[in-house]
Amino acid sequence: MKNRLKVLRAERDWSQQDLADALSVSRQSVNAIETGKYDPSLPLAFRISDLFEHPIEEIFLRD
Amino acid sequence: MRSIPRDPAYSRFQKRFIPASVIYVGAIGLASLLIPDDAKASSLTIGIALLPGLACIAMIWAMARWLVEMDDEYLRLIEIKKALMATGIALAIAATWGLLELYTDVPKLPVFMIFPIWCGGLAVAQLWIRVSDK
Repeated sequence: MKNRLKVLRAERDWSQQDLADALSVSRQSVNAIETGKYDPSLPLAFRISDLFEHPIEEIFLRD
Repeated sequence: MRSIPRDPAYSRFQKRFIPASVIYVGAIGLASLLIPDDAKASSLTIGIALLPGLACIAMIWAMARWLVEMDDEYLRLIEIKKALMATGIALAIAATWGLLELYTDVPKLPVFMIFPIWCGGLAVAQLWIRVSDK
């Protein structure tokens, strides 16, 4: 699954660590999600959605 | 950087696993010292010989609790992958060496070695994941 996490993070000038801290996950998790190595669970996807104030489908895109 | 070592679940794991592993090594040494090779099974020898086994169970329990208590779902996935790979390695070695023992005169692999082999498998899995992640 593709995602716009890196773009949304860059728009806010956040580092991966900043985003990781905001989501209470590891930096490795943010990196794995951004690079498409790992698709987050629904609860984490909703936390990401809430944080960026975008619907999930605007952040995570079908391949 | 928030990584495994700073994870509270990892701290709890260390507090459980390290004492258990120290007891395991100590109990192995104690059993080797106190029980002669040709000792017959008695309540005393069985009791002493069971000590490292109980410590081993405590280590396995500590690892299981860590997997359950980890907050970070991605890091948990990595640890579960490692455990599965280690299980596969240990089962493969046990099965193939067991058949070699059955049909040839290779030295016997003591059953208690399966757990240390599984732990070795964890190290191999860690290396594999690190290399394949790059």
